[in-house]
Amino acid sequence: MHRRDFLKLSAALSALGLIGGPGMIPAARSADFSDYKCLVNVFLLGGNDSFNMLVPRSDAEYSIYAASRQNLAIPQGDLLPISPLNSDGSLYGLHPMASGLQSLFETGDLAIVSNVGPLLEPTSKDDYLNGTTNLPPQLFSHNDQQNQWQSLRGTHSLSTGWAGRIADLLAEDLSGQLLPTNISTSGNSRFQAAETSSPYTVNNNGASSYAAFRRGAEFGVERRASFEQQLANGYGNIHSRALAEVHTRSLQYADLVNEALTLVPELNTAFPDTRLGRRLRIVARLLAVKDEFEVNRQIFYITAIGFDTHDNQNQDQPNLLLDLGDCLQAFQTAMAEIGLENQVTTFTQSDFGRNLTSNGDGTDHGWGAHQLVSGGAVMGRQIYGTMPVLEIDGPDDVAGGRVIPTQSADQYAATLATWFGIPESNLNEIAPSLPAFNLRNLGFMT
Amino acid sequence: MYLRLATILTISLLLLTSCGGGGSSGSGTPPPPGGGGGGGGPTDPVISVAEAHRFLRQASFGPTPTEVEKVRDIGFEAWIDQQLLEPVSLQLPYMDDLPEPENSREGQTNRLDAWFQNVLNGKDQLRQRVAFALSEIIVISDQGNLFNFPNGLADYYDKLAINAFANYPDLLKTVTLTPAMGRYLSMLGNQKPDKAKNIRPDENYAREVMQLFSIGLVMLNKDGSVVLDQDNQPIPTYDQAVIEAFAHVFTGWTFYGSEAFNRPSYIFRAPMVAFQAYHDEGEKRLLNDVILPAGQSAEDDLDAALGNITNHANVPPFISRQLIQRLVTANPSPDYIERVADVFIDDGFGTRGNLGAVVKTILLDPDARAEPTDDTSGKLTEPLLRLTAIWRVFNASAESDRYLFAFPEYSFSQAPLRADSVFNFFRPDFAPTGEIGKLGLVSPEMQITNETTSVLVNNYLALVIFLQHSSVTEKEVDTIYINIDAELAIADQPEALVDQVAEKLLGGNISDALRAESLAMMQRWDSQEGKVAETIYTIATSPEFAVLP
Repeated sequence: MHRRDFLKLSAALSALGLIGGPGMIPAARSADFSDYKCLVNVFLLGGNDSFNMLVPRSDAEYSIYAASRQNLAIPQGDLLPISPLNSDGSLYGLHPMASGLQSLFETGDLAIVSNVGPLLEPTSKDDYLNGTTNLPPQLFSHNDQQNQWQSLRGTHSLSTGWAGRIADLLAEDLSGQLLPTNISTSGNSRFQAAETSSPYTVNNNGASSYAAFRRGAEFGVERRASFEQQLANGYGNIHSRALAEVHTRSLQYADLVNEALTLVPELNTAFPDTRLGRRLRIVARLLAVKDEFEVNRQIFYITAIGFDTHDNQNQDQPNLLLDLGDCLQAFQTAMAEIGLENQVTTFTQSDFGRNLTSNGDGTDHGWGAHQLVSGGAVMGRQIYGTMPVLEIDGPDDVAGGRVIPTQSADQYAATLATWFGIPESNLNEIAPSLPAFNLRNLGFMT
Repeated sequence: MYLRLATILTISLLLLTSCGGGGSSGSGTPPPPGGGGGGGGPTDPVISVAEAHRFLRQASFGPTPTEVEKVRDIGFEAWIDQQLLEPVSLQLPYMDDLPEPENSREGQTNRLDAWFQNVLNGKDQLRQRVAFALSEIIVISDQGNLFNFPNGLADYYDKLAINAFANYPDLLKTVTLTPAMGRYLSMLGNQKPDKAKNIRPDENYAREVMQLFSIGLVMLNKDGSVVLDQDNQPIPTYDQAVIEAFAHVFTGWTFYGSEAFNRPSYIFRAPMVAFQAYHDEGEKRLLNDVILPAGQSAEDDLDAALGNITNHANVPPFISRQLIQRLVTANPSPDYIERVADVFIDDGFGTRGNLGAVVKTILLDPDARAEPTDDTSGKLTEPLLRLTAIWRVFNASAESDRYLFAFPEYSFSQAPLRADSVFNFFRPDFAPTGEIGKLGLVSPEMQITNETTSVLVNNYLALVIFLQHSSVTEKEVDTIYINIDAELAIADQPEALVDQVAEKLLGGNISDALRAESLAMMQRWDSQEGKVAETIYTIATSPEFAVLP
């Protein structure tokens, strides 16, 4: 970080109330939240090799790709063709197993946002190599870059995630909601960490309920009352108090969630019986009964695992992309089934893209990557942003096949947040590095 | 009170002269100067049940009345010294004696059985406890490419147990060459670059051995605090070029007994061996600009590179802090970390990284032994260790003498060597939304604590306590039952029963409120089993029991 730029950025953030003392979040809001909108973050843990997910099919670009990827390259003829409404003159195809993605794209329900990644400001290869740019710390490290995507913290010690900040920002507007704004199917995340608006976690079937408190259990009702009394008494240790808060929320929401889910025990849409499929299925079921929760804005967090393909990539990646495509397609079908296809937007994030070179049978940690956004509110069947040149030591490779992002994770998040209803005046709180970029909206949302 | 204090100090001083160390930590008693803050001696009356209990929650898989009395009898330091000499309980020999598993899942369940055998019944409690802590710092997992190799995972865990009190550099070399680690982080089969094919060495192990197993991402002071530059920013410990250099170091290694580099033997029980033809012989620039000359053997490169890592100034605070967090407290003070790091740097005999001395220092430190005085002390006990504490103190066993528990992670969000990734079940710096984060503190175990998992833990404990105890009439041969006979004997004396269970689970440190709730709930029952189970359940599922103060 260069001191002058750091000070400039610090001053900007300080003015926004993002860093520095209390009185953190300005209250200027004028948006109306009486309609319903929902964001679903499908986080691909490990770093999705998206340069094998979307591949150029034109001969010239394909041969560059194939030269870089060598034994990991997808055969040109196997790529599933797509026909984007916008064109940069090249033809593109999707991984042969990603038929679900192909179908979503071709029907206009999926957009691909090209070469996105954590950035503090627009960064060229020369900037990077000459050290004349501010960079997110610990590029190429899993947990740090997951943290960047989820928190957008840049170089600031920001412990909240951008979904958590949205929940805090809208807390007053959404105070009538019967469930927390942030819901996770995949445990705790930085994405949903907030100052005050605690997220809520569900399992694949709804809310976990205490076996010992069931009405049928001997003294179940009394046992629950006793436990609630204990929780109400409070604790003299912060760790006990933190655990007690979690229990309090479990008790508060479980019956509401599970009773609502009995209204829609099953959707007609079948989901793949996979880890991701089961998680998307419970989100779809919760959305089907959302009116029971009196919610206007919800954000879900779901993880998919296995994307850290250091080895066996040619064996593992087909299944990963098959599952991802089938799951996203099933979810979109389910949204249409329950009439929310235009109100729910699903998007991917991932630690990083992978480098273009092979390590023999896999790939290592990269930087920029393509991301997927699906839903009826997405201006689909388009590729947003410039496709990188997939050439080792080419103009987009900072070294070793690590591709510099040309669009930032902040711009990506801000585009989604804007659709969600976050006013322009609050966007910089959600995406702190956004002021460094001219384009405040990548244009993929209606 | 004055007399008692004086007596304590006198005894402590006597001990200091006779044993050259030790000390005492009676409640409210300051540790004697120069002492380790713990200790005690053969006739030392100082250690209370509560103190011994808390110590054993830190140093074992759960206090039992026998061990509590032993600690009170011989003192903290002598107990540790005995533990340091206890022979290691291993998993592989036990697994080898079992019938050949029919599939990988059964093999993995056998592996967990071996783990439970050792942590529940092994005499080497401290060694097993440290091995488990190490397994959460230097992580491999059966979730992924090791699923089909339960013996390889067991061999790795045995290496952690064998080296739990060894020197950290030896431990790091051992884990580096263990095939399970080699496969998990893809050093096994990693080969020198092939520029024509754009093939470069795999960076997986190179990155994680530094980021997670040794030095971390940013420069640390000896007390674990982050070094900041003039712009108030952390200073990275390495850059991408250093990772690539280490990636080149870690080339050429595969299974012992392989006929050729690309024809792996899949022998997991012997350290990996090098094929020099697949090792990169170029010059390598490592941490602190140390240069390995070109032309070295794979073995020499490896030794020099691991030495480069283990000599880095970050290792003592980085490893010490995490071991303290695993055993004693989520938020160790900088002074505590520094005291431990000092011993890590030099155990008093010139040895760096003596883990036995480090562990002893962690447990005898005043911050570990003094009675907790503020509400930020201690840690959330790992969910699985709540179960082992209950199973140990109530002597849990199955008629088959097995501990067949295939999916602990479903209820406890963790199982030995079963994290979702090399980043473990939780990170050392996790802070939940709320007061902990606002205070700038952490609570790593809260990362696996949410509205789902907290209920699942409660439900499993309810199952164990209400339905799997010694009074159940129709027992299954493989079900694990807790023994509640001692509690049944006093079931008609409510106060005595609650106090006995509170002593077993909390060392007697029960709040008035929890005691009142326990008494009220258990007295609803007519049956003796009901009274006993309700008492155990109420205390075992309380947020009080979940926290090691």
